[in-house]
Amino acid sequence: MRVFGPKELQTDIIEKGLCSGCGGCVDICPYFRSHRGKTAMLFPCTLEKGSCYAFCPKAEVDLDELSMRFFGRTFDGSPLGHHLSIQISRAGGRVSSPNFQAGGTVSALMAFALMKGIVEAAVLTDREKLLPLPRLVKDPSEVLRCASSKYSAAPTLSAFNRAVREGIDRIGVVATPCQALALAQLRSNPLQKADFKDPAALVVGLFCTWSLDFRAFKDYLAGKMDPSIIRKVDIPPPPAEIMEIYDDQGKREIPLAEVRQLVLPSCSFCLDMTAEFSDLSVGVLEGRPDLNTLIIRTERGMEIVSQARKEGFLFTEDLPEENLKHLAWAAANKKKRALVKIKAEGLFNTGDGRRAVLRFSDEAAGAILAGEDGK
Amino acid sequence: MTADPYNIIITGVGGQGNVLASRVLGNMLVRQGYEVTIGETFGATQRGGSVMSHLRIAKEGVWSPQIPRSRAHMIVSLEPAEAVRVLKDYGNEDVRILSNTRPVYPVSVIAGDVVYPPVEEIRSGVQALVPGARFIDATEEALKMGNPILSNIIMLGALSGFTPLPIRRSDFKAVISRFTPGDALDMNLRAFDKGRELMKKGKSKSVKRKQKSHGGKI
Amino acid sequence: MTAGAKKRKEAPRLLMGNEAIARGALEAGIQIASGYPGTPSSEIIENLSRSAAERNIYVEWSTNEKVATEVAAAASFAGLRALCVMKQNGVNVASDFLLHLAHSGTRGGMVLVSCDDPGALSSVNEGDSRPFARILEVPLLEPGDFQEAKDMTKWAFELSEEIRNFVFLRSVTRMSHASGSVIIGDLPAETRRPAFRHKGSLLDPDNGPVISLFPGIPELKHGPQQEKLRRAADIFEKSPFNTYQGPEKPELLIVTSSACSLYSREAVHLLGLKDRVGILKMGTTWPLPPELVKRHLAGTDRILFVEEVMPFLEENVKILAAEAATDLGIKYFYGKKSGHIPSVGELNPDLVLSALRKILNLPSEKDPSDFLKKAESIAASAAPHRELTFCPGCPHRASYWSIHNAIELDGREGFVCGDIGCYTLGFLPCGFGTLKTIHSMGSGTGIAGGFGQIRRFAMNQPILAVCGDSTFFHAAIPALINAVHHRSPITVIVLDNRGTAMTGFQPHPGLAVSAMGEQAVDIDMAEICRALGARVEIRDPFDLEETQRTLNLMMEEAGGAQVLILRQACGLSPEKKGKKLFEVKVDESVCVGENCGCNRLCTRIFRCPGLLWDGQKKTARIDEVICAGCGVCAGICPSGAITKREAQA
Repeated sequence: MRVFGPKELQTDIIEKGLCSGCGGCVDICPYFRSHRGKTAMLFPCTLEKGSCYAFCPKAEVDLDELSMRFFGRTFDGSPLGHHLSIQISRAGGRVSSPNFQAGGTVSALMAFALMKGIVEAAVLTDREKLLPLPRLVKDPSEVLRCASSKYSAAPTLSAFNRAVREGIDRIGVVATPCQALALAQLRSNPLQKADFKDPAALVVGLFCTWSLDFRAFKDYLAGKMDPSIIRKVDIPPPPAEIMEIYDDQGKREIPLAEVRQLVLPSCSFCLDMTAEFSDLSVGVLEGRPDLNTLIIRTERGMEIVSQARKEGFLFTEDLPEENLKHLAWAAANKKKRALVKIKAEGLFNTGDGRRAVLRFSDEAAGAILAGEDGK
Repeated sequence: MTADPYNIIITGVGGQGNVLASRVLGNMLVRQGYEVTIGETFGATQRGGSVMSHLRIAKEGVWSPQIPRSRAHMIVSLEPAEAVRVLKDYGNEDVRILSNTRPVYPVSVIAGDVVYPPVEEIRSGVQALVPGARFIDATEEALKMGNPILSNIIMLGALSGFTPLPIRRSDFKAVISRFTPGDALDMNLRAFDKGRELMKKGKSKSVKRKQKSHGGKI
Repeated sequence: MTAGAKKRKEAPRLLMGNEAIARGALEAGIQIASGYPGTPSSEIIENLSRSAAERNIYVEWSTNEKVATEVAAAASFAGLRALCVMKQNGVNVASDFLLHLAHSGTRGGMVLVSCDDPGALSSVNEGDSRPFARILEVPLLEPGDFQEAKDMTKWAFELSEEIRNFVFLRSVTRMSHASGSVIIGDLPAETRRPAFRHKGSLLDPDNGPVISLFPGIPELKHGPQQEKLRRAADIFEKSPFNTYQGPEKPELLIVTSSACSLYSREAVHLLGLKDRVGILKMGTTWPLPPELVKRHLAGTDRILFVEEVMPFLEENVKILAAEAATDLGIKYFYGKKSGHIPSVGELNPDLVLSALRKILNLPSEKDPSDFLKKAESIAASAAPHRELTFCPGCPHRASYWSIHNAIELDGREGFVCGDIGCYTLGFLPCGFGTLKTIHSMGSGTGIAGGFGQIRRFAMNQPILAVCGDSTFFHAAIPALINAVHHRSPITVIVLDNRGTAMTGFQPHPGLAVSAMGEQAVDIDMAEICRALGARVEIRDPFDLEETQRTLNLMMEEAGGAQVLILRQACGLSPEKKGKKLFEVKVDESVCVGENCGCNRLCTRIFRCPGLLWDGQKKTARIDEVICAGCGVCAGICPSGAITKREAQA
């Protein structure tokens, strides 16, 4: 993969609105910081190569290289990415929380990993009122506090970077697709540091179709209500087409079409709906708000799932065919839309030394673009 | 005194005690019957900038508080790079130079935008041009005495054997006690004496010391 | 008078120009002195404040220059002699009152000293206060050496009482901050007993009310004022402060004043032109004594004006020459208008030398000698430029760090309107380029208030202003009132370093001590702001995180004007100077240096002079001679390599 420096990150990504605010470049150095969902470069840094650029999920990402590194094969553009098995799941009897969104699978898995010492600490996304905030937790009971979905971008990886600097070498992460992709690059040791050890012991990815610009979202809500008393935000599965906002007065519904106007521009450059570069990916299950879809991608993920099941932390069963088809259709659509966009912007597999957002084989690209539109 | 007026420049960096040194020296020479005019810069330019005091030592009359270019007779520098800066504007074949060896790095050097050459390089460059130029470790000596600010007084003491002007310890004592609180008098006198002593020692050691490098490449 | 004092009188003393002015005022018997600090004027009031107890005089640092002139004028109205001191910029501030005062006239002698700063060595503008004398129609004196600085100041009080108006005395940096021989005179034994007589008729100059002008009848006050000026011109015809040196019929006549007369003399001396060039040094520069000037113009055809900043002498002499053209004939003038003298910046003997060479067709300067060429080449590498920076331990560096970061994090292209003080340097790298406007005292807040109002036209940029503690009292309060009153959404940051730091730590209304060292009422700026209705937060700028967080919240929530007071004493303040709070060290094994993860943040960006970059070890270190021990750099180090430990007392 081609690695450039902070200057290029600033001009190619931050200034062009391609930043998803994942936090991959935050807290590895004093220059990049995140504030209210946005990444800012505080001072110029003169290095020609930097971790900031190397980790960025929108800067010169080589999916073939990453795929080889984690799955032993090149990127094929299949809708759900490399996986071993797909299940439906929910938290087992040993864990429960009123905060669970859908089946509570993510919290259950991470609490289990902490309890068993599979990970020393977990990087999660908490929130303060509406603002999602990264959090590093060591106590399994704290995991449940961070449950519930956040619909705007969070610099979650900054907590991962902090954990690495603290010297924690087995870290669990709950990551959105862009965060998982940044993490995958971090885990490939792009700057080839001699003493490098992969510090990520478990990566649980989250399904994601888009993420909101926090500042725009807050301003939008401020025009409708007092954002400071909001307790929970939820998007019920299709075909509802609404966002539900819970505050002291109860539930309000706002049309999803309006909310989509506030999506980060960066999301339209993202091919990944199911967080393909993770051990396990978790999302909703259509038609069953009490259950999750669980994609098992790695042996390590498989092992944890089976242990958690055995010990009553997790309940799983096979995914019905109908759901799988629909999930693959949605994921393929996201891939195609994004690739068309990236190509249109001239940021795919660029030559002549120009910098790209994404690189992978033309075959895989062809497969993605050949995918069908509509249901 | 060979020249009238005899022109001394005391230079350094803001905060090194330039103004005090010039006023003490000026008052010492007034006690010897000279008419002294001093010009100096302070204020905003002192914040990290170069500072200069111009002393005109005359039998009579007030002279311009700015010495005309190339007409310094003596440059006393509290900082080595400042000696060079002044030399370029006010130096001439007959100028004498007495400089401290301890650099005060400009922020552009600290920031890495500009290189500050090794002090040894500055010294040899200056001595190639002004063979009698003397460099003394005034700040190091002042640190040994417990306070780096004393380096300006050490420089004054060193000057006493280095100029045809009558720089007397008794005048220094009389003047410094007017400028600084009582308990500092003894410390200042010791610093003044240390300066004189360094000049005597330095003469025999100068060859040996040339081997030793001062200050890393910064 | 004791024998000791008599003896002292005979031996010349080495006095700074400002000390000489202060001494002159004491010899004149002033009982009141007021001023506002400003380089190069501050030492005058400082010197007087040291003599206050012994001489039984009242000395104050006023809130601003306008107030200072009002305080001094009151003493004059009551029959006392009063001195008022400021830098050139202060005259602008005071000018509104001064024009009134010039009309009403004064009783006890009143002298206004303005210290100009040609070359703006310590100023953010290069103004000339002399034209004010013409605008205000009051006499102007300019001392040409240190003895004159004392003698002229003393005499200015006599002149003031003679013409019943205040007298303007203008010094410059190279007079005020230069030193030279002064033979001092006696101090008066008597003091005057003040009384404000106001029961006489409206037009009684001794016993009536003191009123500047009768609306619609300017001749009642303005007329007599101009008569006073004509009397001053008559007196100036014979003034010993106007001197001439040179042949009776010089080839070239230099007309000059102030420090420029010393440069002129030196240049004439160096070129050996004593028999060819005459120097008319004017001490009374407004109104010019017409007969004296004409007499000298008559002796030559060629005239060179040597003066700094404005062509003030040049224009006024040209007017006289035009008026007397039928007698004097055609003259050739050289100066700023002809380009022989630079129209901006300070002068020096060399600039006069080159003007003389050009005008007299003397051989031009030789090419630089070998010596100078060699010196130049050494200097090219060995004398790196010294850019201005905040002192080690300066709270402004920490404040700007947090302000800069808060603005960058906010991401809406916020900006800071600057003001006057050490923190003016915030537009430079030492302040991370944070200041985007800089004008006069208090203007930062005023300009920010205006920017705040245009946000209504969909400008989204956060608007901030900084001002110092002394500046806050001087001129920022009315601007803040305006912003609060009109709900201007701005954040005013008061950089409260507990004194008027730039000029040498003079007290201000926020401190519990007066210029004379007496107990004063310390006015709580936070309470003032709260009383105005502004939200007020107070933070320690050395707490970088908390300062930045607070500022971000304030920027996000700015509904109306709000105030953040960043309070931390100046590193050179009497309580801190020379004392290290912390021993600061760099652990070389931990320092990330220029690698990814730091890239020399402390030396490359933070740039405190107390830090050093060791190019061989590739680590930062502390320059223990320079470090002031504030410990702020430990807070910015990303790797924890910089550590601070409380210093042993």
